[in-house]
Order: sequence, then C-alpha cells, then structure tokens
Amino acid sequence: MSLLSRKAKAPRAGGEKGLGITRKYKLAPGHSYVVEESPPDISFDAFVNIVSTVDATSKKAMGLAVSRQHSELIRQKYGLEETPIYWLATRAGQDVISPTNLGILTHTLVQFVEDNPTGIILLDGIEYLVSNNDFNKVLRTIDQVNDHISQSQAIMIIPVDPRAFDQKELALLERNMEKIASKPKQ
Amino acid sequence: MLVVDDSEAFRKVMIELLVRVGFHDTAEAKDYEEGMQVFRKERPEIIFVDMILPGKSGVELTKSMLSVDPESKIIAMSSIINKKMIREALEAGAKDFLLKPTNEIALNAVLTMWSD
Repeated sequence: MSLLSRKAKAPRAGGEKGLGITRKYKLAPGHSYVVEESPPDISFDAFVNIVSTVDATSKKAMGLAVSRQHSELIRQKYGLEETPIYWLATRAGQDVISPTNLGILTHTLVQFVEDNPTGIILLDGIEYLVSNNDFNKVLRTIDQVNDHISQSQAIMIIPVDPRAFDQKELALLERNMEKIASKPKQ
Repeated sequence: MLVVDDSEAFRKVMIELLVRVGFHDTAEAKDYEEGMQVFRKERPEIIFVDMILPGKSGVELTKSMLSVDPESKIIAMSSIINKKMIREALEAGAKDFLLKPTNEIALNAVLTMWSD
C-alpha cells in the first residue's frame, strides 16, 4: 500500500456542525497535552468539544482522531460526522492504520498539521502502539508529530493509561507535553 | 444545584464533583416527577438534567421547569452526543450541554459560564 494512500482525508469545509454549546477546554495552540486516564473520557470530551464549538474569535478547529476504538463506534458515541477517524488495527481497510506502521501514522498526522495548522489531533491507543513496537520508536513518532505541532497553532491530545507504563517511560512520554489534570484535586 | 438522573451512581459522582468545586447546596432526583417536586421546593440556581430519563424525557422536564421559572439555568446531559437531541434541549431552553461522565474541567467551565 502506498504511503500517499494514507494521506489524511481533508475534513469537509467547515468541519463539524457547531453544537451551540460552551467551549469547555482552553488548550493552548502549538501545544500537545497528555491526559493520564483510562478510559479516555476527558480526552474525547475535550476533542469533541473543541471540534464542535467555536473559540473566542468564533473560529472552529478541524479535527483528526486516531484510536484503538472502531471509528464507527466513536462516530456514534460522539456525534462526529465530518472528522476523519483512523482505526488502529491489524485488519486491512479504509481509514485503518496498522499499529506496526509508524511511518504511515507519522505521515498522516504530520500531513494533517500541515494542511490544518489550527487543527486538533486526538491520538488514542498509545498502549496498543507500544505493545506492537519498541517503546522508543513510538516515542520518536510522538516527538516528530509534536515538533510539527510546536511550529503550528495546532493541538494534540494523547490519553495515556499510566498503568501501562513504568515511571521512566511515562516521564519520557510527558517530557515535551503539558498535562491535563485527570485526577480530582484533593 | 439539582441533579436529575436515573442512575444513582452517576448522581453520587456528580454531587461529589459539585461539592469538590465548591457547591455544597445540592439536591438530586431520579426522574421527571421527583425532579419537578424537588425543583418546586428548592428552586435551585442550576439544574443538570439527563436527557434520557425513564418516563417523561429530559426535554419535557426542561420545558416544565422553565414554565415554572423561566430564569432557571438548565444544563442538559447525556452519555452520547446526539446532535438532534442536543438541539431539542437547547431549543427547549437548556443553556448548555455536558457529556457524561463529566469531569472537573468541563463542570467548572459550565459553572463559570452560568452560575451567578
């Protein structure tokens, strides 16, 4: 399969229809965020809220999601109609990215940032990527995408199940990203 | 604050979250009838209403509450984002929408926006 066949589909002009509700997450452009949580409820809520609402300047963000969850399940649960969603799976098919093909994953995400410099990426399924690859390779993929995020006005959200990583791996994952607090303040 | 949801577990979590973000004056109800009873008695500033309730729906509850007190601030909730349902809730007079399970960040944003 050619690399270009995995180029991120351009979101339809205008992206998701606005829900007419409040923008609840104020994430800074040009930053990547890690959310320590399982299941990834906050990450999905933030992603869906941002692609379905407008910011203070009435601008909407285009989104792209990658997840271990099947794209149709995500569409049904979160009402996403226009947002490209890629399923991380070993099965062949449209809008599927193999967990072992980090090159295509990187290309898809980087291309999206280049095409949508104010867009937002949800990268769910890091644990699945690590179970199919060397941890350092996954880290390099994230760093590479994060470099492009930093040079744009885009945002990336990465939910991480802290039980799946040791402390050193978690620290490496989080070193160039900001954290969205998932645990209630005591 | 009033939380109307048929799940006792969710009501408990929601009340705990509200207390944690500083709202100690809370009440709960499990359905339309109980919701209206508590609403009439307590007149809460903000009401969180699950859109899918047993019997009469959250949209019907929203309309009924607003017919009693048009100044009430109702926040619709649901565990899925059904755009049609959210549109109906907003058209019925709900101020905002929260996806369940909610969290401190989203709840704080809603409360900052709508509480006096």
